[in-house]
Amino acid sequence: MQDYILNILVIFESILLLVISLILFSKTRDLTKLKKYEEAFIEEQAKKHSEQNEFFPMVIHELRSPLSVISGAADLLIKTTDELSAEQIHTLLHQIKSSSSGLLKVVGDILDISKMEGGKFQISETYGDIRDVLREECGYFEPLAKVKNVALSCPVSGKIPSFSFDSDRVKQVLNNLIANSIKFCPEKGKVVVNARKDARSVIVEVADDGVGIPDKDKPMIFHKFFQASNQAGVGEKGTGLGLAICKGIIEAHGGKIWMEDNKPSGVKFIFSLPIK
Amino acid sequence: MPKKILFVEDDEGFYNIFSVPLKMKGYDVIHVSDGSLAVEKVITEKPDLILLDIVLPGTSGLDILKELREREETKEVKVVMLTNFGSDDNISKAMEYGSNDYLMKYNIVPSELPAKIAGLLGEAQESVVRVTES
Repeated sequence: MQDYILNILVIFESILLLVISLILFSKTRDLTKLKKYEEAFIEEQAKKHSEQNEFFPMVIHELRSPLSVISGAADLLIKTTDELSAEQIHTLLHQIKSSSSGLLKVVGDILDISKMEGGKFQISETYGDIRDVLREECGYFEPLAKVKNVALSCPVSGKIPSFSFDSDRVKQVLNNLIANSIKFCPEKGKVVVNARKDARSVIVEVADDGVGIPDKDKPMIFHKFFQASNQAGVGEKGTGLGLAICKGIIEAHGGKIWMEDNKPSGVKFIFSLPIK
Repeated sequence: MPKKILFVEDDEGFYNIFSVPLKMKGYDVIHVSDGSLAVEKVITEKPDLILLDIVLPGTSGLDILKELREREETKEVKVVMLTNFGSDDNISKAMEYGSNDYLMKYNIVPSELPAKIAGLLGEAQESVVRVTES
């Protein structure tokens, strides 16, 4: 009888140990999970911190440069009005205007990206013809293209139905893409802006025969702050927010934006907008 | 003969606000916006002083300065870095390569730049003004 009780006790003890082990094992798994969460959290915080570290000096530089120019031009106009020629006064006033516009653009870009990141970015769609938007943007850039000796063409061909899109925001995307293409095109280069319809969307392309984008930079090109290594000259200028904002605008329409090599040289930026 | 200043600057805004007071004081200001053309311009134009930005397309201002100091024909020319980038690393490199001064664009009032330049060229401000009047 004693042996029987002893056996029962041993079995009971074994079961108890097994249960304790299982509980401990499950707790350890929880702890491992917790550890992983902690590591992911630390990594996320480090990434945010590093983005902030990149963001603030860049923003300060982009704001301070036009502000310094505005302040300097105003100072000259106040202190030396009598000594300045009419042409010099015109140059300084024009400079104040153009630096103020640059400043407003930087502030607008920062606002857009912060709205996109906070999930508060909204578009306002109206029914319209995208070919009008393309022609208007090409017309806007024609003088700059002429100055840079770049052939800018907008041969929008084929039938494209009217559909709903935010024309101001699509203009902003085209403005960014065309300005980049002209900027990085060599003299006597070509920039072609085109649109076509496919099954359910309108596809818009901005193609140039410029320096292109190095393979290593391609996956990063739509990330905020990123600037291709062969396109920024020595050192880097600009906020690096332009293409990230383009992506946000197109995605807010339910569309997609991507880039392809434009063989034999250059790059094509392509975006699709769903017809609705 | 007015003193010649080569201004290596790719930002049109900064070029406008700093070149206007220099021209008013009688300096002959020449402009280059592409860094890769700067050394060649120094050799052909033989300026008395160079205002040199750091972030430039083509070649950086620091590399231009280094090359100027290495070349026999340009090693003595006065160079003033005029930039918005005031990191310790940039300043110490500029000084190591032989910059004559390092000015921050947002710290210097454009109307005061001619006096600074006159000092570096060993001129009294009045003499520069006389050049303008003559």
